[in-house]
Amino acid sequence: MRLSIRESATFDWRRLLQARLPLVGAGVILVFVLLAALAPFIVSDPTQIEMRRERDGETITPPFAPNARNLFGTDQLGRDIFARVVFGLRTSLIVGLLVRGLSMAAGTLLGLISGYFPTIVDSIIMRITDIMLAFPVILLAMTVTAVLGPGLLTVCLALALVAWPDVARLVRGQVLAIREQTYVEAARSIGAGNWRILLRHVLPNCMGPIIVAFSMGIPGAIMYEAGLSFFGFGIQPPTPSLGSIISDGRGYITVAPWYPGFPGLVLTLLVLSVNLVGDGLIDAMNPRAARGRRNGHSAS
Amino acid sequence: MLGYTVRRLLQFIPILIGLVTVLFALLNILPGDPARMMAGPFANPDVVETIREEMGFDRPLWVQYLDNLWDLARGEFGRSYQSRRPILGDLLEVFPKTVQLALAAEVTSALLGIWLGIVAATHRNGWADRLIMTIAALNLSFPLFWLALMLQIVFAVFLRLLPPSGYGSGFDQFVVLPAVTLALPSLGLLARITRAALIEVLGEDYIRTARAKGLRGVLVIRRHVLPNALIPIVTTIGTDFVRLLGGIPIIEVVFAWPGIGKYAYDALVFRDLPALQASVIVLAVSVSLVNLAVDLLYAFINPRIRYV
Repeated sequence: MRLSIRESATFDWRRLLQARLPLVGAGVILVFVLLAALAPFIVSDPTQIEMRRERDGETITPPFAPNARNLFGTDQLGRDIFARVVFGLRTSLIVGLLVRGLSMAAGTLLGLISGYFPTIVDSIIMRITDIMLAFPVILLAMTVTAVLGPGLLTVCLALALVAWPDVARLVRGQVLAIREQTYVEAARSIGAGNWRILLRHVLPNCMGPIIVAFSMGIPGAIMYEAGLSFFGFGIQPPTPSLGSIISDGRGYITVAPWYPGFPGLVLTLLVLSVNLVGDGLIDAMNPRAARGRRNGHSAS
Repeated sequence: MLGYTVRRLLQFIPILIGLVTVLFALLNILPGDPARMMAGPFANPDVVETIREEMGFDRPLWVQYLDNLWDLARGEFGRSYQSRRPILGDLLEVFPKTVQLALAAEVTSALLGIWLGIVAATHRNGWADRLIMTIAALNLSFPLFWLALMLQIVFAVFLRLLPPSGYGSGFDQFVVLPAVTLALPSLGLLARITRAALIEVLGEDYIRTARAKGLRGVLVIRRHVLPNALIPIVTTIGTDFVRLLGGIPIIEVVFAWPGIGKYAYDALVFRDLPALQASVIVLAVSVSLVNLAVDLLYAFINPRIRYV
């Protein structure tokens, strides 16, 4: 994702609140966050196995179709899919925020250094981003999780590793423009040091694009985690993940389409909502925002 | 222009060396002994030793690394650990299948996306426009692997219209589901871009002139609007094609399409370093060639852009 937004001097809150779709997105995210946060109090135990059940005087075996007790039906062991999805949402949200936090921190730091000090360090950082961006993302992420071993933390590290170069490029571009501004020159002329200028003058002025990049990168992180887990390179049981539930359900698509179906719908809804909020943020920052900003970084 | 192209191509050499270095480092940290993998689970230790010596796994890592780079520099991809066949032959077999899939997907998304964009722009604010733009808002929000699964359920399992997965002869019924899955997420983006570009051009004076002189609606669109709206559309198709190539490994694995993405995935699962690095190199080079082609195409359709 490459964003080209210069300044964020005017953040149009009214515009953000007037737009309907971002609000709908924010509402859905709020519901999902509440569900995930309060999961243990809301849904039944997602590991509860139930191998037979009486219905109309007959004994039936799982997977059970959606019913009053199991909103999304159950899996082949009679575990409630809604409960599994809610706990999976927890993982998705944690991954989205953690990956974005890590990659934004690393990318911002390296981008600031790279843009502000046009030295050999700049060239080295930029050549590294060239190499990282040349990799097919999903294959690199799979290789890194294969090396680090599967698990929540390693998946986050792997995804942050593939995501930081875009951020570094974006921040570097901003810094290059801001570096030439008169207020930077003014600060330098009264004797401010490089790091003071970077942290007090340059960084605050690239915050707008950084915030947008943060929100626009979350869907990619969530989808890649689900993709990795789907292919068995990601989060391992017992940690729940929407990707692995969908993968488990693959073998039951003919007898229980709800099994892989509902987790994917929830995943789509989550990604869509975050995208809508991101679109709203861009519009609020820059009413003439480039159309078609959502390209790339959502390949999974 | 030629100088620019050559420079872009030369810039790619250090990137390729970087790619190979990163992969070599990663795969050598990976637990697992390639000699043992090649010998199979029940092999006699002597056999494992022989393979280790034959393949040079007993040499220091830096020797293996330089040897590997030197082989690649001579265009020597080596033999797959898994199949023991020359990788070049494998690649020549799998790569065209990936090209077929990518082309089928991009043509689908370009034709449908541009058509939807034209419909939306010419019926601006009508119900068709609203419907299309609502669908476009879903743009890129689908996880590819799940979309693939759902399309398999509907079209292969329930409707029995198309085969769920596999490869036939290229452009036959087998390519439909994977190509459509790859194309769907970018339809909305293309529709949106086309619509915006058309609406901008439709407001120009020369369009009013064309209408005023009595040119029919369809002809105005075809002769005056489309050529001028082409730049953002072609740009988007280019960046979209790169995104599409990124999704190729996932789609190929889910649909058992025997292309280079599935080849790379299998190589990773088997810790097959030579096969993995060769396929990653080919994928990375393809992506950057597409990028270069797109940049050159801009200059071609918009003579105001000049690369020096």
